[in-house]
Amino acid sequence: MQKFYLPLLLLVLLVLEGVALDFLPISLIGDWIVVPHWLLVLLVLVTIFYDKENTYNSIIHAIIFGLLIDIVYTNVLGVYMFIYAITIYSIHELKKILHTNYFVALLMTIIAVGIADIGIYFIYFFIGAIELFWKEYLMIRLIPTLIANILFFLICYPFVKRKLVKWTIERFDRENGIK
Amino acid sequence: MYFFRKKRLFVILIGFIILVGLIGLTLRDREELSTVEEFLQDTVGWLQNVVHIPVEFSTSLISNIEDMKNVYEENQVLKSRLGQYKNLLYEVQELKQDNEELRNVLDKTESITDYQPIQASVIARSPEPAFHQVKISKGKQHGVESNMAVITGNGMIGKVQSAAQFTSTVLLLSGFDRSNRISVDVAIEDKKNVSGFIVGFDEESESLLLELNTYDVKLDGGELVVSSGMGGVFPRSLEIGTIEEVTPDKYGLTQIAHVTPSANLSNSDHVIVVNRLALQPEDEITQEGEE
Repeated sequence: MQKFYLPLLLLVLLVLEGVALDFLPISLIGDWIVVPHWLLVLLVLVTIFYDKENTYNSIIHAIIFGLLIDIVYTNVLGVYMFIYAITIYSIHELKKILHTNYFVALLMTIIAVGIADIGIYFIYFFIGAIELFWKEYLMIRLIPTLIANILFFLICYPFVKRKLVKWTIERFDRENGIK
Repeated sequence: MYFFRKKRLFVILIGFIILVGLIGLTLRDREELSTVEEFLQDTVGWLQNVVHIPVEFSTSLISNIEDMKNVYEENQVLKSRLGQYKNLLYEVQELKQDNEELRNVLDKTESITDYQPIQASVIARSPEPAFHQVKISKGKQHGVESNMAVITGNGMIGKVQSAAQFTSTVLLLSGFDRSNRISVDVAIEDKKNVSGFIVGFDEESESLLLELNTYDVKLDGGELVVSSGMGGVFPRSLEIGTIEEVTPDKYGLTQIAHVTPSANLSNSDHVIVVNRLALQPEDEITQEGEE
């Protein structure tokens, strides 16, 4: 049963991303462009706290839900799928080097959101969906997006971490115990 | 270890090929969604509908409280306007009746002004701002088709980009470019209307770019821009915006006017999908679709 909790949680976040911008007062945003990468933030946490070194749950989820974002919210398929998968994969590799704690998780979130948003910007720029130039992009999209997603990380970290650690013990450690 | 490195490279390369293939397949303007996409759009759309209700309740509660600050002043202004509107209403009714009678005399029942409204509410906004899309709660089952105009009480906000069975995606005016031109008229007092095309959106000044068909006409700004219905898809006289300023285009052949949209593009909850009743000439549909 608890196998389904994670996809359900991701699905809820996918739906919430669609109404995320309604919560921000327009006067606060101004010219800034804020992109909620909530799914990615959660997937980073999943990589760090749920996945073992030799399991790739987070990457599979990144591919499936990246494709869902592409279908539901954009015209061009494949971009979020590819970028999210690559990002989560690099986080998965990075996890082997770093010791996991709160600050490492925060750092990895910042790196992941940064890589993902820059990657998405470059692909969209090449196919002509975005017409912002690099410098403008940096100021009006990347920095506000990073700040907004760090805020989301700070809010969801305490709740999600406890659950993920519980689920991973239930799933992997017990399975290994039986074997 | 070497083997795994090679395998990893291989997977990334295959991923890259899939990415390029998918982008190539989906980048062109598609009229119809595939069944899988429609199904996923509708399923997520249903969930968005559920989530949307409490979200809208809470956000509108906050804006209502903000609005209450100015209630007294607004009331004073509105009261003074009410008298004028009564006169105007009477005049409009007279004109409408007149128009109808004259049409009956001419035996002309079809007009490109007529449309059938389909009420819908905005249930989600694309988190990826590059696409300027919102999702609305009505789809093919309710009569929505792609390329229909979408308006609010204040004016036009965009057109239906693709319709699934129970939800559809709307491309906002801010995402319009040369491939979705709108044929428009500029209303000038006491003179013949000037026609033109909306050819794009300027992100910097947040205004639509209107290419005028004539060079010698002089516009001061403040003129109303409405759709002309000549494109064959949108009905006539949907309000689009007001002219801000006029500049010659870069070759000096025409004039480009900056038009501020009348409707609030970034914050509209209730919209109306406009189903034009007049028949669309066959060749024009395909032309407008491909444009």
